[in-house]
Amino acid sequence: MRHMTDLKPTNRDTAGRILVGTSGYSYAEWAEAGFYPPGTKAGEMLPLYARQFGITELNFTWYQMPKAPAIERMRRLAPPGFRFAAKLTRVLTHEVDPGQWRGQAAQYREGIGPLLQAQQLAALLLQFPPGFTRDAASRRYLAELLDVLGGLPLAVEFRHASWAADRVFAELERRRATLVAVDEPELPGLFPKLDVVTNPDLFYARFHGRNARGWRSGNMQKQFDYDYPDNELHEWADNLIPRMAARAAQGVIFFNNHVRAQAPRNAAQLTRLLTERGLTGSS
Amino acid sequence: MERAIIHLNVADFAVAVERAIDRRLADRPVVIAPQGAARAAVYDMSEEAYRTGVRKGMALARAARLCRDARILPPHPERYERAMRALLQRALPFSPRIEAGENDGHLFIDATGTGRLLGPPMDVAWRLRREIRAHLGLAPIWSVAPNKLVAKVATRLVKPEGEYIIAAGEEQPFLAPLRLELIPGIERDDLTRLREFNLERAHDVAALRLEDLQVPFGSRAMFLYETVRGIDPSPVLAVGEKPPAVAADHAFATDTNDTDALLAALYRLIEQTGGELRRRRRAARRVAVVLDYSDGARSIRQAAARPATANDITLFETARRAFFRAWTRRVRVRRLRLVCDRLVFPPAQLALFGDDRQHAEKRDRLIGAVDAVRHRFGGNALQVGRTLAA
Repeated sequence: MRHMTDLKPTNRDTAGRILVGTSGYSYAEWAEAGFYPPGTKAGEMLPLYARQFGITELNFTWYQMPKAPAIERMRRLAPPGFRFAAKLTRVLTHEVDPGQWRGQAAQYREGIGPLLQAQQLAALLLQFPPGFTRDAASRRYLAELLDVLGGLPLAVEFRHASWAADRVFAELERRRATLVAVDEPELPGLFPKLDVVTNPDLFYARFHGRNARGWRSGNMQKQFDYDYPDNELHEWADNLIPRMAARAAQGVIFFNNHVRAQAPRNAAQLTRLLTERGLTGSS
Repeated sequence: MERAIIHLNVADFAVAVERAIDRRLADRPVVIAPQGAARAAVYDMSEEAYRTGVRKGMALARAARLCRDARILPPHPERYERAMRALLQRALPFSPRIEAGENDGHLFIDATGTGRLLGPPMDVAWRLRREIRAHLGLAPIWSVAPNKLVAKVATRLVKPEGEYIIAAGEEQPFLAPLRLELIPGIERDDLTRLREFNLERAHDVAALRLEDLQVPFGSRAMFLYETVRGIDPSPVLAVGEKPPAVAADHAFATDTNDTDALLAALYRLIEQTGGELRRRRRAARRVAVVLDYSDGARSIRQAAARPATANDITLFETARRAFFRAWTRRVRVRRLRLVCDRLVFPPAQLALFGDDRQHAEKRDRLIGAVDAVRHRFGGNALQVGRTLAA
């Protein structure tokens, strides 16, 4: 493993190259929780969100194959410099049909085309389920998927601990694909919290919250109900993020604890900590 | 308030239910049709059979020629009803407002305001599908949209499998490129008229102002204007909250295509529904006739009653119009159903012209007298000659 070295980042180099945002921005409950003004319509959320954050992670693309015209209309709602990360559709990560997936990968590439053309796609997130363990079939599938999606800025998130292995990291590094760093409950079998950087172009971190009790409830409102206390954000701002920032030209960080708008609150807190440390420009 | 409506649509529902029961039917063409009838018609078919040209309502003999390797099964309405109840059961924990179709595999779920409890509507829809698939062996198409109209069009687009999410504000651009026949509520008469004006797609109609539409489409203009823009304020009706209607059925002992016999049966249905309307102190603005032919084909037509009425004679005139629109084949009829809906309180405004007023009052007095006699001496004390003809 090539992590936890004592490389100190030079703050001047990394400033402004780390973007913090949330996983998704269109939540009706964020208006009730005060992040959006009361009564904000779905179509007004992205422009409001973009006043506070410079990037978002699209999660509706996990539920449905993106369609270029709708993606383009959404893109236009955000200011020109705004960036997107897009989650890969579930039929390519969770519900793979061996006979269909290649065609679906091509469809996906076409669907997110508008973000690529506008150079606003920061990364493509391949998030695999806990049941995707490191066996021969999974390894082969992953290799083929990375090949098929070649040329796109890929970031891979594993949920299963079996993938936390040097050989996996070395292969991702060879392919210049990003290993996603995760903050999630410390439960047996879950992928551990690591600051491994496998792609000198980009590091990618996701904060899911540490709600151990709700994690396997099958209900997102319980799984992602968590408010990060200061000390846990400090741990990242002081140690892990600076180390990753030293090894990658850019970084993106997303909070997925969307319940009651805790995600944007924690994202703003982390942004503040990083700004104080000269790691990102204030947004 | 912006709404989030989930639409679940099990494509080719009857076939899907049969396949869930008998796995051997998977991946092979299946046609469902009553066997034994002289001119049996297709009730439902699988996607594979559809691709060979088989359509609902087509003569079974022709369907069998088009799709020679099709497995032909008789319809099992009780199975479809059971499956529909099971679908509804799975959905109930997700919302108090769920509207089920008529044993057709369609379910609307109003997920508005449930986000804090259950998560984003698209996640609810996805989980629900996964559950239905695991427990019932059915794989519904799902959509999430701001209203029922858009949600329904969306599941039509991804048939036979898939999903579609339409965000609030996306309704009009979503519908714009679509052909008008894909949009529910735009009926055959509308389509014919729209085509006469060279209007083929939603954006063609959306380019017109309401005033432009009013000239050729009259009272339908507002509906068309809103529909092509994806505007649909209709609520998802909770179970048991279907719009009020009064209906009656008649199944012929021997299938018939005799006009007098059919009209006699229709009049008897009118007497039942008219009596029920008067008991409820309501009047109907619309009368629909459902006609089931002996080969399984079904035809439904409706006619508007202007003004709303609960008078048998006036209702019959309206029903007769609907009946002759529905009855277009020579095949014998097995069953007649009459539905009076769009119920209102009886109109208080009298007819403007004296003659009309007198005429209407006379009819009302006559029916009132018939009701009074029947109330006192029993339903058979007085019978209308027409109903005795058969």
